[in-house]
Amino acid sequence: MFDLDLRSRKPIYEQLVEKFKELIIKEILQADEKLPSVRTLAKQMTINPNTIQKAYRELETQGYIYSVKGKGSFVQVSDDAVNQEELMKIKEKLTADISEALYLGVTRKEIEQLIKKAEESIGGQKTND
Amino acid sequence: MIELRGVEKSFQNQRVLNDITLQIKTGSIYGLLGSNGAGKTTLLKIMAGILKQEEGSVQMKEAPVYENNEVKNKMVFIPDRLYFFSHYTIEQMAKFYQNIYSGWDQSRFEELKDIFGLDIKKKVSQFSKGMQRQVAFWLALSAMPDIMILDEPFDGLDPVVRKKVKNLLIRDVAERQMTIVISSHNLREVEDICDYVGILHNGDILLEKDLDDLKADIHKVQAAFRNHVPAKLKQELTLLHEEKRGSVRLWIVRGSEEVITEKVEAYSPVVFDLLPLTLEEIFIYEMGGVGYNVENILV
Repeated sequence: MFDLDLRSRKPIYEQLVEKFKELIIKEILQADEKLPSVRTLAKQMTINPNTIQKAYRELETQGYIYSVKGKGSFVQVSDDAVNQEELMKIKEKLTADISEALYLGVTRKEIEQLIKKAEESIGGQKTND
Repeated sequence: MIELRGVEKSFQNQRVLNDITLQIKTGSIYGLLGSNGAGKTTLLKIMAGILKQEEGSVQMKEAPVYENNEVKNKMVFIPDRLYFFSHYTIEQMAKFYQNIYSGWDQSRFEELKDIFGLDIKKKVSQFSKGMQRQVAFWLALSAMPDIMILDEPFDGLDPVVRKKVKNLLIRDVAERQMTIVISSHNLREVEDICDYVGILHNGDILLEKDLDDLKADIHKVQAAFRNHVPAKLKQELTLLHEEKRGSVRLWIVRGSEEVITEKVEAYSPVVFDLLPLTLEEIFIYEMGGVGYNVENILV
């Protein structure tokens, strides 16, 4: 399904949570799609089933998935809460990057030009579709 | 569930274990870590009912272990020094296990033959060290135990086999809630598969915790400040260790990511990096806390 970096310092369960979030946000896993069962995933990836269980529980409290007793876990229809969190993260990252750019001497105008360029590239993509 | 309460053990007046109390949940993979000579093997042998503790109790599913055939029937211990009867072939060893363990699953044994790919007509003593270890796992898995106690189980296995064995162990944990207790010095090996760890030092349990909680509660911080390091900040943080690398400070701090970040950022650092620790680093710093230092060894 996907690979985890067992050499990474990040706890495996955090990596799992992040991977699933990414798959859900990018809609590779779609609303109401069933997630692999804890057992299957444990066997497939050689990960402790308790760790996977914990990751699923975390995803559930964060509102990314829901579970049906005896059936398994499913992707939650994406709502604003999910997007809000992503938005906040991106804004934080942008702020950090922009402050670094300003510190390094990039001018406001140049940043504005970059925004324009990004806008155009998104627009371009849309017409290509 | 495995439950140890107030377990004490001495060998010829030498105290090996002091008052060990711990619980291992069913379906958990518990990593028992410790310095050399900490008492890991002794503790595992007591759990396996091979040695008898002088004080305290060891219970599995609320029944004592020592000389209790019913409990031992559902438990396999793989020691760090393997033992097979001399001149026995794998097939003969399997027969022996089949007689002892009522849960023995012959079809599983056949199935695992393809996975391990060893000749069952060959004498076990003729195999290499690593292959003998594979035989031990093969027999243990075929006995379908509820509890596996493994002392340095991955020693001498090549990376391919190690991966295979780990996967087989995980399968049994996932499928039928097998409980595993693993002791190891190789912390990388344990880090991948354990969900709970206990650190043993000089016969005492130093710390026992969910592995992810353990990792969430200790961090490595690298920070630099424009002028000098704010003394107040150092008081606010629970520092376990400090190193100076030029103008950058390296700190090992107890606490969650959010709390540490908030405290450090209040002093507007020029450089600020926060990393989780590896299990190996946690082990080293925890041991450092009780005077078992790396520096003492690397003079």
